[in-house]
Amino acid sequence: MIFSTVEHILTHISFSIVSIIITMRLISFFLVDGIVQLYDSSEKGMIVTFLCLTGLLVTRWTYSGHFPLSNLYESLIFLSWSFSLIHIVPYFKKNKKYLSTITGSSVVFTQGFTTSGLLTEIDQSSILVPALQSEWLIMHVTMMILGYASLLCGSLLSIALLVITFRKNKKIISIKNLLLNESFFFIEIEYMNERSNLLQNTSFFSAKNYYRSQLIQQLDYWSSRGISLGFIFLTIGILSGAVWANEAWGSYWNWDPKETWAFITWIIFAIYLHTRTTRNPKCANSAIVASIGFLIIWICYFGVNLLGIGLHSYGSFTLLAN
Amino acid sequence: MGSLHLTSSRPQSQSIPLSKLQNGTTGCCTKTRCCYYGYYPFFPKPPFSLRNSQISYSFCCRNNGLALGFTVSYKLETSKDNILTQSKKKKKKEEEEDKKSKIVVPESNEEAPSLSEEGTAGISNGGTRQPATRKSQLGGVGGSWKSSIWRRVLAILSNLPLALAEMAAVAALMALGTVIDQGETPDFYFHKYPEDNPVLGFFTWRWVLTLGFDHMFTSPIFFGTLALLGASLMACTYTTQIPLVRVARRWSFLYSAEVIRKQEYTDILPQASIKDLGVILMGAGYEVFLEGPSLYAFKGLAGRFAPIGVHLALLLIMAGGTLSSAGSFRGSVTVPQGLNFVVGDVLGPSGFLSMPSEAFNTEVHVNRFYMDYYDSGEVRQFHTDLSLLDLNGKEVMRKTISVNDPLRYGGITIYQTDWSLSALQILKDNEGPFNLAMAPLQINGDKKLYGTFLPIGDVNSPDVKGISMLARDLQSIVLYDQQGRFVGVRRPDSKLPIDIDGIKIVIVDAIGSTGLDIKTDPGVAIVYAGFGALMLTTCISFLSHSQIWALQDGTEVIIGGKTNRAKGEFPEEMNLLLDQVPELVESSSPKQSDVISG
Repeated sequence: MIFSTVEHILTHISFSIVSIIITMRLISFFLVDGIVQLYDSSEKGMIVTFLCLTGLLVTRWTYSGHFPLSNLYESLIFLSWSFSLIHIVPYFKKNKKYLSTITGSSVVFTQGFTTSGLLTEIDQSSILVPALQSEWLIMHVTMMILGYASLLCGSLLSIALLVITFRKNKKIISIKNLLLNESFFFIEIEYMNERSNLLQNTSFFSAKNYYRSQLIQQLDYWSSRGISLGFIFLTIGILSGAVWANEAWGSYWNWDPKETWAFITWIIFAIYLHTRTTRNPKCANSAIVASIGFLIIWICYFGVNLLGIGLHSYGSFTLLAN
Repeated sequence: MGSLHLTSSRPQSQSIPLSKLQNGTTGCCTKTRCCYYGYYPFFPKPPFSLRNSQISYSFCCRNNGLALGFTVSYKLETSKDNILTQSKKKKKKEEEEDKKSKIVVPESNEEAPSLSEEGTAGISNGGTRQPATRKSQLGGVGGSWKSSIWRRVLAILSNLPLALAEMAAVAALMALGTVIDQGETPDFYFHKYPEDNPVLGFFTWRWVLTLGFDHMFTSPIFFGTLALLGASLMACTYTTQIPLVRVARRWSFLYSAEVIRKQEYTDILPQASIKDLGVILMGAGYEVFLEGPSLYAFKGLAGRFAPIGVHLALLLIMAGGTLSSAGSFRGSVTVPQGLNFVVGDVLGPSGFLSMPSEAFNTEVHVNRFYMDYYDSGEVRQFHTDLSLLDLNGKEVMRKTISVNDPLRYGGITIYQTDWSLSALQILKDNEGPFNLAMAPLQINGDKKLYGTFLPIGDVNSPDVKGISMLARDLQSIVLYDQQGRFVGVRRPDSKLPIDIDGIKIVIVDAIGSTGLDIKTDPGVAIVYAGFGALMLTTCISFLSHSQIWALQDGTEVIIGGKTNRAKGEFPEEMNLLLDQVPELVESSSPKQSDVISG
């Protein structure tokens, strides 16, 4: 009883802190640009969230007696824990504002979804069916979810990149139009005057453009770093799952839907990594691949569970549950 | 010039490799092999000052039985070349080197030289693959017609967009394989994908059945795409990645300030000594090489070569998977407790490479099958106590297996995968015990339910009545009387009699049967090796290969650097390092640097 109370409290604390952080972020973004204190306190808030989520996982572990990753609810908590972990780790490097925005909001969404009423039936920690009683469970599932978390962060950054790129294109067109109009207007005026004006315009324009391209480069870079890291976790996760399957069912690969989709995810991000090996990689191309990957992760993580088939339909093991 | 060489010949440049050697004395073999590849070849043009240390390397290599002849001759030739071409422009030098390496490399080489060399040329000419194909055509004039075609095929296969398309195709086929229900009867597909109402306007059962999408993961199309992907992997490794190793070897000292300034990261330190920079870089984990006024340093070379390892590991996994599917045996059996079976009777071959082994004569005896339960009554674990008997009936092994804990013997693995109830042992009015066979009943969903029936009265009458007994597991049996009314529940181990219409029944035991999967798989070892290699090389691939060049220009040091992955952190790291480089007092710069470095 005390455990469930503690758990309840921790869940709500973490969720409310994350919501407050997001509100603060929005306020500092829209109203008061660049208030350092707000940013600082939101970072502290993320650390508290991280601690709460850790506490939540530990509590569940203690009272259920097994690693808390046996159903969707627990894996979602773990996902948001991974997001906050990713958030915390780069915090010490101080320079990853983009990443922290993404992770912060990701934590809100996953945590909100977890604590919302949608999953009330399954939030009770269930017993472990025989097939899940293995040390491989910890390795496989943690690696997979850490992988999902960092891949999601990376691909979200890529989506942001795409949005900015396309908005930039539009702006360039509009600015070009403006320049054209201006030049027509200035035909009447003295030549020198016009020229200096144009120069001013272009320099202003290029400065803005420079910041945008800087931003795009940063996004591109961090998304690729996130994805490479996630790719490592995903690889280890899939392979440890295969080894585990060979221990439990006698086959390291069964073409089970979840497995297949994990493999598809792996392939998509392998394509992403390969698109970046070319001499002059275009950010947009790889970003498109990464955004496809984003969809596929969600299919892999949720879609397959909703179908409820195969060996990974958390908790309903037709073969082994009597 | 000469005096400069002398000054730079001391502590730093030598101490790096030497300390490395000392560190690596126990694991000498792997370390020097590494050196042989990544370390030594970084000196196509070794400075005099470094020769000693290099020879010590080569010596170590020789101790481990590696080819030495190449290293020495190559070094000497290129060092001559170096002096000659030092004044020439960089481009010309590269061409010269291309020629040079063409003469020298073949005699040193284990892997087929001619093609990969051309790949090198292609890459050094700007990274496009066109030069390579052009060259291969030229080469084909001298060589046979076949090899020209072979090269053309290689060039096509190693094309990156093609490889990406193949990966996407594999992914799409797999996705399709999870969307379309697999392994159903043709009738199912007739109904699900009817011709008069095609999915997406064209997709009907004809597609499914003709292309084999009803068994996607064993269909020729899927295997064909995978095989094509494998071929691309090999071609890419062979024509692009391995030559990349040679390109990486060639990068070394840069002598012109302009070239250094063109790097991704550049900086100029006024009033600094290149030797101090070398010491600081060394402290940061770089391998540092000095030659007169120029410096070259690198870190994380493994990160550049690891992708090759990733590809090779994938090929290993593919090979292992093929062997698994062609050379394994599998089978499953449900054995009641107390009975025997022979392994060879259960196993069926899966492919043309499946060879039965001695161990197939082993007889398996199921000593006991039992389950553990949670307090709530749910099953915690299944256990089967197995004995393996050889041809003479001697027990060779005994083990209690459970889910996640299989038995391995002579290449055979026995897994606990299933269970069922085979019989109930009862006493009827203290007679018996009788064994009543139990039959599986399908009532609701996937929960297991077994039932049996004890006839009472005239067995031959048309409407025989009796007692029904149902069980979900081995724990409790539910009994119903002749009218089908619930009477009670008994546990097999309680020995408590139950009275049904005057008949006293004791349930002595519920006999379960264990469901075992048995397999032999010669591919597992290879696949596991591939898994290990893949995990390792993927992790190493995250490392970033950073290279730094520096040139002493009077009291200024011009620094250029680049890295292949961690482009974000690299400038910061460099700035931190360069901040540590001490500023020199103008008059006594050489002495002071010596004091610091010494």
